[in-house]
Amino acid sequence: MFDQVDFSALELPPSARALQREVREFLRTELAALGFTPHLGHAEFHADFTRRVAERGWIGMTWPKRYGGQERSYLDRFVVTEEMLAVAAPCAAHWFADRQTGPSLLRYGTEAQRQRYLPAIARGEYYFALGMSEPNSGSDLASVKTRAERVPNGWRVTGQKVWTSWAHKAHAFFVLCRTSPDSGNRHEGLSQLIVELDAPGVTVRPIRFMNGEHHFNEVFLDNVFVPDDRVVGEIGQGWKQVTSELALERSGPERYMTTFPLFTELMRRLGGTPDTRAAEAAGKLAARMWSLRRMSLAIAITLDPGPDSEQGTPKATVDLATEAALVKDMGTFFEREIIDAARLLATVEPAPDAADLFERYLADTIVCAPVSTIRGGTTQVLRNLIARKLLDPLK
Amino acid sequence: MNDVSDIRTMLVDSATRLFADHVNAKMLDAAKHDGWSSALWKIVEDAQLPLVSIAEDAGGAGGSLSDFAAVLRIAGRYTAPIPLAETALAGWLLASSRLAIPAGPLTVAPVHGEEISARKVGGHWKLSGSLQRVPFARIAGHIVVLAAGPAGDLVACVDAAQCEITPERNLASEPRDGVVLADAAVAAEFVAPAAGGVNPTTLRERGALLRSVAMAGALERALELAVGYAGERSQFGRKIGQFQAIQQELARFAGEVAAAVASALSAAGAVERAQNATFAVACAKIRTAQAAHEGALIAHQVHGAIGVTDEYALHHATLRLWAWREEFGNEAAWAIELGRAMCAAGADRLWPTLTAD
Repeated sequence: MFDQVDFSALELPPSARALQREVREFLRTELAALGFTPHLGHAEFHADFTRRVAERGWIGMTWPKRYGGQERSYLDRFVVTEEMLAVAAPCAAHWFADRQTGPSLLRYGTEAQRQRYLPAIARGEYYFALGMSEPNSGSDLASVKTRAERVPNGWRVTGQKVWTSWAHKAHAFFVLCRTSPDSGNRHEGLSQLIVELDAPGVTVRPIRFMNGEHHFNEVFLDNVFVPDDRVVGEIGQGWKQVTSELALERSGPERYMTTFPLFTELMRRLGGTPDTRAAEAAGKLAARMWSLRRMSLAIAITLDPGPDSEQGTPKATVDLATEAALVKDMGTFFEREIIDAARLLATVEPAPDAADLFERYLADTIVCAPVSTIRGGTTQVLRNLIARKLLDPLK
Repeated sequence: MNDVSDIRTMLVDSATRLFADHVNAKMLDAAKHDGWSSALWKIVEDAQLPLVSIAEDAGGAGGSLSDFAAVLRIAGRYTAPIPLAETALAGWLLASSRLAIPAGPLTVAPVHGEEISARKVGGHWKLSGSLQRVPFARIAGHIVVLAAGPAGDLVACVDAAQCEITPERNLASEPRDGVVLADAAVAAEFVAPAAGGVNPTTLRERGALLRSVAMAGALERALELAVGYAGERSQFGRKIGQFQAIQQELARFAGEVAAAVASALSAAGAVERAQNATFAVACAKIRTAQAAHEGALIAHQVHGAIGVTDEYALHHATLRLWAWREEFGNEAAWAIELGRAMCAAGADRLWPTLTAD
């Protein structure tokens, strides 16, 4: 594990420190100015905030300048991301495009696709969602049934996607679908298409979360025409394309920081002189958080393609998929440890409408606790993947 | 940068070869009775491994603390029965006070917060104190102590022959001996004021760091054994590693090992750079002790009954893990200290502290 990483030498260079200060200052002033009431559990959608972040050059910041990027390092992006998460900044509008759509287009997209979407994403004006899961395809993603049929100049897509976060606000989404019948090898015949959500035949319906919030959707695709120039990468290579960049996606700070603001508020509750039990709990949370961050940071730095790269996509020669799965597995459980520590040390009743930040955060996080170990690869699927990697060399 | 990592790579490769070639079942079994392996010590000392991270002009072999941590991780992985960490700690104390580093195995004291008093009588110092569970004391030629002198802390290199030593051991049968200094005489040339930043607190901190690093290595060993066993042991007509229940446990184990490695080596870097060092060491000792707890038990569960026998290799790693997690402060002790410091600093310092590497 982590054989390529020298943890002892891992530290933020002065440029990243400067960026960290800049982002902290930005968040302090911006969030106050927005008059925004933060919630935890799901990143919130705030178009104005996303535009303000874009003005600072922090969306698509690792991408080439000719597509609106800043050609900054993965480490810089890591710093921006973790600062946003630390204060529950409302990043949902640009989240998926910044993390996934952009890098996918840089690696597999055509020049025209990059020109059409990337600068608009980087300006904070164009939002993407992800169309992966289906009613009968959750962990078993290769079983997707949404299909595209060849027609002149493009494809006709029919099917249903679910758990599509923020599809009701996004402009487009990536759809993983079957472009040729299942021939026995289920990983073949899948493709990725860009479907713009205002296209005829697209219907978005809310799926309400158990606390009544609306961020999930189901998206129905009824014979939707997708022109040839919206095909991402190669027809039939969709599986390879969606699984090739999981390392960064799985190991980012969002895998262990979605309940972090509750930790901060817990510390405020505990005050300056905690009893032994509280001190021990706080110390243990800090230790786990720190070790997770060191691993996440190591992956971001190791996958950085370096300043000479034009591509802005992760270094292909390093395989950290297993390490990334470990970070997600442990990170998502750590998020729950924060909730339990807060719950057991403070003994307050969770109050969803409380004015008090701690009480509200506690309510938010308890309700959202089941989600993080399900989305982006369930704990059980990840552990099977990790074990296969461990046992493989023995065969 | 390249030079540093090239040297590290060479060091790691040669240490791996050395331990792989020389540590074996017979040696580990004999060490349970003898307390160590003098043969292995000789080879390790000839390779100057205990002197890595001590400046050459102070009698060391050069290199950084992270270089030494890389070596100690491997020693932990092979459960090398020698006082490598202890000798390095002693070397650090001596070198920081510009005292000569004697040859042979060394150890340090106090490791449980006891006070050693020092008074000067003529040309000699006389040291007194009663010390619990000093690692490898009966093996060490010299015990390097931090003593309270009339004008502040002193570092003294005490000939072990001057001490009354009562053999005891830890779970892995490593010597953890009682030591009584009763006006033990030390010539003035072997005593010097402790340097800035060298005191019982930082000695404990370094000790905790080195135990964390060694635990990371021992955890790697336990994981290797568990994975290997899962791949060869058959039950119900198939390899037990093919059962998802076993796979899930191995995956959880791998996470614990990764977290231990990441935190121990990160803390070595923090101490080396003297940056947020106390915080990093506390985190590392807490996290590696937790990993030792989870990991050792998973390793045994995967092995079934064979793992708990004295003829199977697993116990060399797990007994050490269970011993080392307590030494220089266990996870509760460090967490309470850390939690108090964090609360005293206030909630708004939490995030800056976690990110101050």
